[in-house]
Amino acid sequence: MTITASVDKPAQPKSWLRRHVAVRAFLTAPSGVASVVALAVLVGVAVVAPLYLDARATETDIAGSWAGVGADHWLGTDALGRDTFARVMVATRLTLLLGLAAGAISIGLGVAFGLLAAVSRGRWRTALLRGLDAALCIPAILMAIFAGAIFGGGVNGAVVGVGLALCFPIARITSTLALSIGGREYISAARVLGVRPLRLMFRYTLPNISESLVVAFTLSIVSGVLFISALSFLGLGTQAPEFDWGGLLSEGVANIAIAPAGALGPAIAIAFTALTLSLTGEALARACNPVLWTSSRKQRRAAPPEPTAVPVAAPAETEGGEPVLRVDDLVVTVPGAVGPVDIVKGVSFAVAPGQVLGIVGESGSGKTMTALAVAGLAPPSGTVGGTITLTGRRLADLSKAELDALLARELSVVFQDPSSALNPALRVGVQMTLSARIIRKLRRSAAYQLAAAKLRDVHIGAPDRQLKAYPHQLSGGMRQRVMIGTGLMAEPSVLIADEPTTALDVTVQAQIMDLLEEINTGDRSTSIILISHNLALVSQNCDRVLVMYCGRIVEDLDLDQLLTDPKHPYTRALLAAMPKPGGPREAPMATIGGEVPDIAAPPAGCPFHPRCAVAVDRCRTDLPPLVIHPEDRARRVACHVVEGAGV
Amino acid sequence: MPRPCRCPAWASRGLEDGHEMSTALEASPGTPADGVAGPTRRLVREGREGRAGSWTRFVLRRVVGLVTALLALLVAVFVMVRLIPGDPVINALGTDATPETIARLNAENGFDKPLYEQFLSYVSNLFQGDLGRSFITNEPVTQIIGQRIGPSLQLAIVALALVFLVSIPLGMVAGGVTQGGRHRRIEVAFTSVTGMFAAIPDYLTATILAFLFAVQIQLFPVAGADGPQSLVLPVLAVSAGPIMTLARLVRLETLNVLSNDYIRTARSQRLPRRTIYGRHALPNVLTAALTIGGLLFANLIGGAVIVENVFARPGLGSTLVQAVVAKEYVVVQGVTIVLGAIVIGVIMLVDVALALVDPRSLTRST
Repeated sequence: MTITASVDKPAQPKSWLRRHVAVRAFLTAPSGVASVVALAVLVGVAVVAPLYLDARATETDIAGSWAGVGADHWLGTDALGRDTFARVMVATRLTLLLGLAAGAISIGLGVAFGLLAAVSRGRWRTALLRGLDAALCIPAILMAIFAGAIFGGGVNGAVVGVGLALCFPIARITSTLALSIGGREYISAARVLGVRPLRLMFRYTLPNISESLVVAFTLSIVSGVLFISALSFLGLGTQAPEFDWGGLLSEGVANIAIAPAGALGPAIAIAFTALTLSLTGEALARACNPVLWTSSRKQRRAAPPEPTAVPVAAPAETEGGEPVLRVDDLVVTVPGAVGPVDIVKGVSFAVAPGQVLGIVGESGSGKTMTALAVAGLAPPSGTVGGTITLTGRRLADLSKAELDALLARELSVVFQDPSSALNPALRVGVQMTLSARIIRKLRRSAAYQLAAAKLRDVHIGAPDRQLKAYPHQLSGGMRQRVMIGTGLMAEPSVLIADEPTTALDVTVQAQIMDLLEEINTGDRSTSIILISHNLALVSQNCDRVLVMYCGRIVEDLDLDQLLTDPKHPYTRALLAAMPKPGGPREAPMATIGGEVPDIAAPPAGCPFHPRCAVAVDRCRTDLPPLVIHPEDRARRVACHVVEGAGV
Repeated sequence: MPRPCRCPAWASRGLEDGHEMSTALEASPGTPADGVAGPTRRLVREGREGRAGSWTRFVLRRVVGLVTALLALLVAVFVMVRLIPGDPVINALGTDATPETIARLNAENGFDKPLYEQFLSYVSNLFQGDLGRSFITNEPVTQIIGQRIGPSLQLAIVALALVFLVSIPLGMVAGGVTQGGRHRRIEVAFTSVTGMFAAIPDYLTATILAFLFAVQIQLFPVAGADGPQSLVLPVLAVSAGPIMTLARLVRLETLNVLSNDYIRTARSQRLPRRTIYGRHALPNVLTAALTIGGLLFANLIGGAVIVENVFARPGLGSTLVQAVVAKEYVVVQGVTIVLGAIVIGVIMLVDVALALVDPRSLTRST
């Protein structure tokens, strides 16, 4: 729904089209069709049955009492020889009318009460809403019985009682809806213009919530039928010779041993109504929620174009022997709005023991998905292609159990936002030690001692006390320390830190980065993959840097090369956009013009060409491959313009 | 969805921790084993006292809420009973009662006094445990309720336990299986089946169960309240609908919880599935399930009142119905107050239980 500030058109009339779409959405849902048919059947029977079956339903025939189920009497007869099927059919009219009356009372009272609570101010509103909450605590059926007795018992009492009992949920929904639109601009504007509360209520508020209330009304009328039947069933509603389904059911149950079909008939009728209620509610809710109309269809459409296969140079040999992690031609595909989308399109890199590898790129560059895929955390609906080798073992060759054991032991992930990455309902100690206790089978006390030691390693004092704390009792920086400490529990070879400082204050950021450096240079010389959009952070902390753009690596280079001789125009642009300490403050911040392209529909050729200052014709048609720079074997770059890199 | 609390109180405490941290470190360095020594223990105690403060505030708020709700209940019931047209004694006994009896009962019940005096004596009698006497049998209402409340509460409590025990695993498994749009067919089947059964009213379920098990198979007694066997059918009848409703809710909440970052953290630790569900997801799902536990109990009490009549259980339900038919307003009023008070009390208890499971709700404003 759009918000308009116009005061002269309070009701915001929906276009004919929107309403049409809503009706179609209602009717195309299977539950919508079924509920329309079921409602039509109910109303049809209520109108027609008393015209034709009244005689059979009311005329007594003592000789024919307790007749069995047969062609003459589909559901047998009762003690007075009256046809049960006819009685159930005829009772439909009275049952529905009573339900309708009770529903109407509940709607009238509920809407009035709800609006009153919504338009009143200050203490009155609080008092009314509190009263509503208290009323909702009382079991509705109890209230219906109580109020029914007060209002004289019998049918009239039952209708008023049920109406009263059902009005509180309606009042609650009305007040919630009215309060939620109360802050809208056209209401405030009307109030400022001096529109009286009553007029405000009926001309401005009510029309705008009426569509949502329709659902509540429908449910309330059919609940009315069920509640009235319940009271009649207890003998507190209709009295003989009047009969409705509840009364018939209670007679049937009393004689269930003699004539079981006598109870079956009204039971089926009530169950049918109850199911109609649930179907109608579901279909109406669907029609009132525009999000559900189209979402299911959009997903399948034409297959996406195959990504152009581009040769990717293998990463340069890592120094210091066998890489601890090696990724070859990683492709991650996830379902998108118009079909599968490759978020990562052939990424290869290697991490040496003790190395800090930075992966930089703007959001949507695929850097986080690369890391998640390596950690085995790609979304279950997606697919991961390529080869990942961790401490010399190819992950694809391992069984599920071996893979779990290897990843649990050798790889940990520290996520961006420590306040959501820690379970709010578990004490710090529990979440830190779960993996040690369950995967490594450590005893509880040993696991807690280990956790306390790790907390000390990440400079958290009084670790035994912090282990007993809940995450919300810690500051943001403390939480991220806890996350890192948790990651260190298994003493992994590789620690992936995905934007570990983005959610933190600047002063805390520096502490966390110092901590990561300490872990990297410590006894175990853990390798770290640092993922960030912040080139400054990466350039201060990494040995080697991958620059990613649109799911691909565009440049892979050493820290020295990054600082002194970046080749790719995108890397240069990132560096230029980096604020320099000591630089002139008055100078405007350099930015990269243009926008990051949609990864589902990247531009042809080099995806960076629309933003590139040095692009040539070829960049618009041919995707540049990632090649090892001929004069600089330690660098890979994907650009037609860079000298020596073009094919 | 519960969100982590970021209120200033905790934030500032976090900062204090930072300062105290260094002192604690200097005072008790060494191995993890002696970490609880000296200053650390002092800090632990201080932390507990801090939490005790918020507990006191929390309990105070809850008590105020409880008293308000009970007062509203008393006033509403009092006003409604006094709205009845005509003389309450004649309504109950009929016009052929002797004038002496009518005058005596009117005087005993104070119906001849002004309304505010009636209300004051009604409240003061209530605090002395006096809910009045039946016009017809002259039996104290508290005694009638005392004799009959046992079977009703038993039914509602057993049903509540069954609802939680069945619907939470059912909803969590359904949520786990259908997570991320997988197994659409299972999702459709689950939603339609639970939706259907949730819609069937409890008196109907009771009738069908009585017919199937008691009349056809004769497996369980169809009437009475003797022994645990007599509880089986009523409990099933009362809990079938709420089980389905709660299972649907738990499935949605499970989907919600599983999409959280901390579940991804747990997956990154390669914890087995049962640990992720049992240790990480369950406490969070439980919070949501408990939140509606109080209202669920209200429904179950209401269901018990009706279903007791099907199975001829001598509980409050049948008492209530008989009193309504006999126009015995004093009894109706007493039963309504007692059941209403029980429900309100249970809702408050659920709040407290919630605070124990999820300590964040202590500081959440309600």
